[in-house]
Amino acid sequence: MEWKHKNLIDLDCWEKEEILHLIDQAGNMEDLLNRPIKKVPALRGKLIVNLFFEPSTRTRVSFELAEKMLSADVVNWSASGSSTAKGETLRDTAWTLESMGADAIVVRHGAVGAASYLQRKLKHAAVFNAGDGAHAHPTQALLDIYTASKHYSSLEGLRIAIVGDIVHSRVARSNMIGFRTMGCDVVVSGPKTLMPPELDYYGVRYFKDPREAVKGANIVYLLRIQRERQEQGLFPSLDEYFKLFGADEELISLAEKDALIMHPGPINRRVEIDSLVADGPQSVILEQVRSGVAVRMALLYLCLGGAR
Amino acid sequence: MESILLTNCKVYDGKELLDGEKHILIEDGKIAKIAAEKPSVSENLKIYNLKGLIVCPGFIDIHAHLRDPGQEWREDILSGARAAARGGYTTIVAMPNTDPPVDNPFLVRYVIEKGRSSGGARVLPAGTVSKNREGCVMAEMGKMVEEGAVFFTDDGSPVKNSSLLQKALLYSSHLDVRIMEHPEDNELSKGGQVNYGWCSSISGLKGNPPSSEVVDIKKCVALAKETGGAIHFTHVSTKEGIEEIKRAKSEGLPITCDVTPHHLTLDETMVVKSGFDATYKVNPPLRNKEDVEALWQAIADGVVDAIATDHAPYHMDEKDLPFQEAAFGIASLECAIAAVLNEWSSRGKICPLERLLSLWTSNPAGLLPRQWSDLGVIKEGAPADLTVLDLDKNKQVKVEEWASKARLTPWEDASLKGWPVMTFLEGKVLFCDTDRRC
Ligand SMILES: [Zn+2]
Repeated sequence: MEWKHKNLIDLDCWEKEEILHLIDQAGNMEDLLNRPIKKVPALRGKLIVNLFFEPSTRTRVSFELAEKMLSADVVNWSASGSSTAKGETLRDTAWTLESMGADAIVVRHGAVGAASYLQRKLKHAAVFNAGDGAHAHPTQALLDIYTASKHYSSLEGLRIAIVGDIVHSRVARSNMIGFRTMGCDVVVSGPKTLMPPELDYYGVRYFKDPREAVKGANIVYLLRIQRERQEQGLFPSLDEYFKLFGADEELISLAEKDALIMHPGPINRRVEIDSLVADGPQSVILEQVRSGVAVRMALLYLCLGGAR
Repeated sequence: MESILLTNCKVYDGKELLDGEKHILIEDGKIAKIAAEKPSVSENLKIYNLKGLIVCPGFIDIHAHLRDPGQEWREDILSGARAAARGGYTTIVAMPNTDPPVDNPFLVRYVIEKGRSSGGARVLPAGTVSKNREGCVMAEMGKMVEEGAVFFTDDGSPVKNSSLLQKALLYSSHLDVRIMEHPEDNELSKGGQVNYGWCSSISGLKGNPPSSEVVDIKKCVALAKETGGAIHFTHVSTKEGIEEIKRAKSEGLPITCDVTPHHLTLDETMVVKSGFDATYKVNPPLRNKEDVEALWQAIADGVVDAIATDHAPYHMDEKDLPFQEAAFGIASLECAIAAVLNEWSSRGKICPLERLLSLWTSNPAGLLPRQWSDLGVIKEGAPADLTVLDLDKNKQVKVEEWASKARLTPWEDASLKGWPVMTFLEGKVLFCDTDRRC
């Protein structure tokens, strides 16, 4: 297929065929990763900068591995220890990097809109959103879709229950859009204080009882609960959260027999997920991590012209 | 002083559009004559043929942030007053949330004096309700009135302490100056960046809920009822807020309100569609389409008393940032009237033109202390403060041409229909964007 995307800011305008094509490519990339000599020269001579304003070892390392497997030149530019700490703006940093010849910038930033802002400010370099505030984390959704696709021949009509802190979660936003685009029945649950007030845009349904949401689900997706949410008074205690919404074996037993258990990591044991579930046979949490490299390789390969 | 004759114009006198074409003679800064027949022309006379244009009382903006003293990198009284004149205004009220705040008679005087030498619109100061705008102690309201303050407001935030507001309403009752409230409950809106609902859900940004506005309006209405003091609610943005005000007005309470050009013409979807362009970031946030509809309906129903810009200029470096990091505020003085006229036409002229014009002229003039009540009318003997409108003029907004220091606005490049083309302040041409000089 003709690949039309140069950047990835969010998945709102991606078509199902495009996601299918990308996960196809990711499958090829994963085959490559299993070979004794892993590197391919697809992006030789391309300069990719990983511009991270928030600490994120997982996502950064995953991107970095993907870039290196494709033989791109890689620069890691983290906010601490660079000029950003001295008050340089995102705009100046981006222009500086572009002047140095960056072909692509992978950006993680705490502010909603940072990735689209960069895209508007840059003339040539492509922008890949590795997370902008609570707005979007599209590569996480792509790798989650890829992981699920390895277990189901088609995602069409499958039920996925996303449980936890939806309102503060860029992972949830991108996954609601991504899995809906794939034709899934997406349902969500969690305390009302952690739900966005409006879910129609995403085409998902809310269940106040997590058992109702999980019932008959093919995928149960748990979200990380951050401690500060309790400090903000959004629920009374982590213990109570686990009691009411945590994924233990009893809750999971309501899902389909072989339902997949997913989580973007890092997990909080006995807050949103019980160890027996996280480490149990249905859990694909570590598989998700492995998928990340292959999916990001496919993304960079397609968008940066490796395919042409 | 040179005399001026405006010929063949339509006239809106602050009440109605007068029948037929009129000729207006301006002498000594005052309107000397309004006649159906063209007066015999003396030699020393400047003549403008305004056929097809509407001459109105000079437009009044009761809510503009001029950032002076203390934040002159954003705007100052000179640039702000000139921007206002270019935008079609002859009188603007400068908000007191400056650095330091205008909370004393000396700064009231400073604003007036600097405005006088600006070569732009007349600048009338608002003073704060509380000293240092902290919501603890009442500012010297009486002294500020003597120096020329025309409103009291802690705008930028609500009056933080209900008890202080109650006392201020009682104390200021003999001063003939209204208290202007920025309706917001800071606890409910804390951290809010966009409208609560669709926009907060999709963006992941914290929502500022309509309840924040409504709760504060309800509280203030109760205080107005109890004290008999008058409260003006500025930049009302929600359907529910409007409903509260409508109810209070129907009870005969001394409540008035204004709405902004941006809340009348923009909505929350633009935040998302623009890819989180921070020019759409403002407080109160852009609301949903239903709210916009309700504001227009409120104009049609006569619930709204004024359209006020809440012109809130910032330096590029404070605004050209990722959405979540950018400052709150929309700069609009130089395109606000056009934006509203354009929207009014595209909404099928939801209310009579006279109603709309009254919200820039006689109605806001009525909110000012009595000495300024002549500002909202065109009549013989009144000061010749005039705004000339060309309802058919199409022009593109180009922020680089502005006198304002702001360099970002949501209307950049927008093609708008209906523009002010001339402003006169006491008979002096402040701005002329037409070649009608004979
Ligand atoms: Zn305000």
